[in-house]
Amino acid sequence: MKRLKAMARAYREYWRINLLTTLEYRENFLMWFAFTIVYHATALAALWVVLTKFPSMNGWTFRDMAFLYGLWMLAHAVNNTFFSEVGSIPEHVHEGQFDRLLVRPLDTLFQLIATPGQIFPDELILAVAYFAVATWYSGVHVGALFVIFVPLITLGGALIDLGINLIVGTLAFWFVRVDALQWIVTQLEQEFTRYPVSIYSRSVRLLLTFAFPFAFMNYFPATFFLNKPENALALPPAVGLLTPLIGLAFVSVAYAFWRFGLNRYQGVGH
Amino acid sequence: MAIIETADLRKVFRSVKRRPGLGGAIAALFSREYEEKAAVDGITMSLEAGELVGYLGPNGAGKSTTIKMLTGILVPTSGSISVAGLVPHRQRLENAQNIGVVFGQRSQLYWDLPLRESFALLRSIYDVPRERFRENLDHFVEILALDEFMDTPVRQLSLGERMRGDFAAAMLHDPKIVYLDEPTIGLDVVAKEAIREFITQLNRERGTTIILTTHDLADIERLARRVILIDDGTIIFDGPISRLREEYGTHRTLVITLADSYEDVQIEGADVESREGNVVRLRFDRRRTSAEVLIRRALERYALSDIAIVEPDINSIVGRIYREGYTESAIGSPS
Amino acid sequence: MSVVLSRPRFRLEPYVEFAKVAMAREATYRFDVFTNIASVLVRVYILRTVWVALYAHNPAPSELPLHAIITYSTVAMLMSLVMDIDQTRILHDSLHDGSIVLDFTKPMRVPLYFIANGTGEVLFHAVLMIPALGLALFFVHIDVPSFGTLLVFLVSFLLGYGVGFCINFILNCTAFWTLEITAVQFIVTWITDLVGGELVPLVLFPAALQNVLVVLPFAAMFSTPLLIYVGHIPPAQYAGALGLQAFWLIALGAVSVVMWRLGVRRLVSQGG
Repeated sequence: MKRLKAMARAYREYWRINLLTTLEYRENFLMWFAFTIVYHATALAALWVVLTKFPSMNGWTFRDMAFLYGLWMLAHAVNNTFFSEVGSIPEHVHEGQFDRLLVRPLDTLFQLIATPGQIFPDELILAVAYFAVATWYSGVHVGALFVIFVPLITLGGALIDLGINLIVGTLAFWFVRVDALQWIVTQLEQEFTRYPVSIYSRSVRLLLTFAFPFAFMNYFPATFFLNKPENALALPPAVGLLTPLIGLAFVSVAYAFWRFGLNRYQGVGH
Repeated sequence: MAIIETADLRKVFRSVKRRPGLGGAIAALFSREYEEKAAVDGITMSLEAGELVGYLGPNGAGKSTTIKMLTGILVPTSGSISVAGLVPHRQRLENAQNIGVVFGQRSQLYWDLPLRESFALLRSIYDVPRERFRENLDHFVEILALDEFMDTPVRQLSLGERMRGDFAAAMLHDPKIVYLDEPTIGLDVVAKEAIREFITQLNRERGTTIILTTHDLADIERLARRVILIDDGTIIFDGPISRLREEYGTHRTLVITLADSYEDVQIEGADVESREGNVVRLRFDRRRTSAEVLIRRALERYALSDIAIVEPDINSIVGRIYREGYTESAIGSPS
Repeated sequence: MSVVLSRPRFRLEPYVEFAKVAMAREATYRFDVFTNIASVLVRVYILRTVWVALYAHNPAPSELPLHAIITYSTVAMLMSLVMDIDQTRILHDSLHDGSIVLDFTKPMRVPLYFIANGTGEVLFHAVLMIPALGLALFFVHIDVPSFGTLLVFLVSFLLGYGVGFCINFILNCTAFWTLEITAVQFIVTWITDLVGGELVPLVLFPAALQNVLVVLPFAAMFSTPLLIYVGHIPPAQYAGALGLQAFWLIALGAVSVVMWRLGVRRLVSQGG
């Protein structure tokens, strides 16, 4: 317990230093902030251009899609800001840096996440700001349910994102290089969450709901809040509120896989 | 005819003067102040073909700057420079054909490729006739014992193996001049000796002119006949290594082991350098006092169980020059 | 004083070797090859699904019928196998770790070394387009233009590739000034993909925007060859389209040469 408290204190300190460093290396920060903005802006711009020419995608308008994107962006930003160390698992595996984490009496993954490197909080700030605008723009009713569930859904979505990254990172125990795969998975995640899942064939919809639950990151919650007449699998609309639970379930599966990989790593003796 | 010749070679670096604080940073956006530093400040040297020269100096003295100008990578600010009749920075490609380079800290081999293929690629770059290439390769593979790992990717080689590979790579095209920068750094004793032997052989059998830059003075002692010392951008010594010893190696150390316990040890003509228990080291200027006289005085005063005379090694000589600087008159006073 | 390369007889052989070595090196990354192709295929699928859904619920635009736009997107994704590579990353890396100094001690023209290396990498990925296309045909139908159009498309593709190469080279040259611009490179890539017509055909953009974007070098990279392929640019306009591409290639090529010279001058006067 004492160790946890110490780690919590260290974690807080990390963030304090992080923010201070961000302010000090302003030009660097601005460059990466621009990076984040352009990343999202080009995605939205492409959507806008297309939906200007084709106003409806399976009944979804650009306003709907803007909201859809915002939900995903929030979850993704939370994951990138707080769980980003998971992305460097392959690096740790190959440099053999797990040894010093393994000898400590705390969960390895927890330690990994609790010691972030240099993170700029720009994406999170941007995501919150964008989401506020998108919510207003799409005309979603902001009631009690919205206020209570959106943070939970964001967290659930972040856990789904974390789960995906964890699974891919765990592959580093078996494969020498997974950075190409990491990059592609990120790309694909963005592409699949950009459009309403209802456009895909049934098998893909099932895949995106039950296997890699991207659909729960933003699609199902969006169908609920936007009062869409039906969702991709004709499930009750409230299913969109289940995202936090789905997130927990998925990340548990990912965690189990991670432990399997870690045990093998210890056993094999790299 | 000298193969390497420089006259009053100078290299001045201009850097932006940094002003402190945020105000200074903003001011720097509008007006820039420069400060100039002469890394090489008038170097005149002349090397004959076939010489093996040690090029020494403390860090920041201008050694690597000189080497960069000789290899054509850096453009001098003023002065003349000629390597095998070419001006390196003006005739880079032709000069490159004449030279070989071994930089201890960085390999010129291709990281992902097996050693054999690195060599093949270099053959192509240097346009070495296939017969000559085969001859050279077989020769170097044998004397450097490269056979075992010819098919291993360079990134998997140990430091010693990679260094040997680098030496072969530098020589495959029969360069007239070879620049060695820290060639034995990080190697174990056995590997160092092997490399030194190889260098000596190169110089002796092929008449390759060799410029050796190193901080490992044992390398110098073993290999170089001539030493050029540079400090603060200028040459402070240029001559045979024996003269270096003569002029600067004026001090020797008498090491005596006392057979009894004595509180205070003093011998006329020498200064106590250090004392550890019964072992006392005394430093003396051999021009003023002879070893024989000192030993007699020591025997007269103390009961001794062991005596030794330690010659100044290049390390301590050069170290002193770095610390105390060069003066024309003999280095007299003990520090 | 600029570094003047001397004039010994030029030999192509070492540069061909560099390209071969680079190709072989790319081939060893088997996992990357697999994931690259898989990612292209998934994106082809997604785009096809998106276009089908859009065309089903909305009036089809006259400029591009459904089959044409699916062809467009598929070919665009195949092109990205080649266009998305950071071909002259080696320039940035060797400046970063200082190994460029060693490159200059060798009797080779250093920029050609980098170009040869990048070309080798790209050639390998170009070959990958064939299996990728073969697999894509399992779930997507693309139009095949006439042989003549195909030839013009290939020429246009090469010109567009050249434009992209120059942009990439210019960005990597900033490493001479020890600028760390990885973020900027990504930004340029995303903007290029958008306004170059890779993601969305430029003909679907609002008219005012189209007129501006069409003349930019980014359009030369994707939009021009793709629109030639799907027949939106008719033979009568080939000369104009290719001419514009050639213009950008020459202009950016000149900028690249200048950047390189300035960079080397800084290197040989400031030291590494």
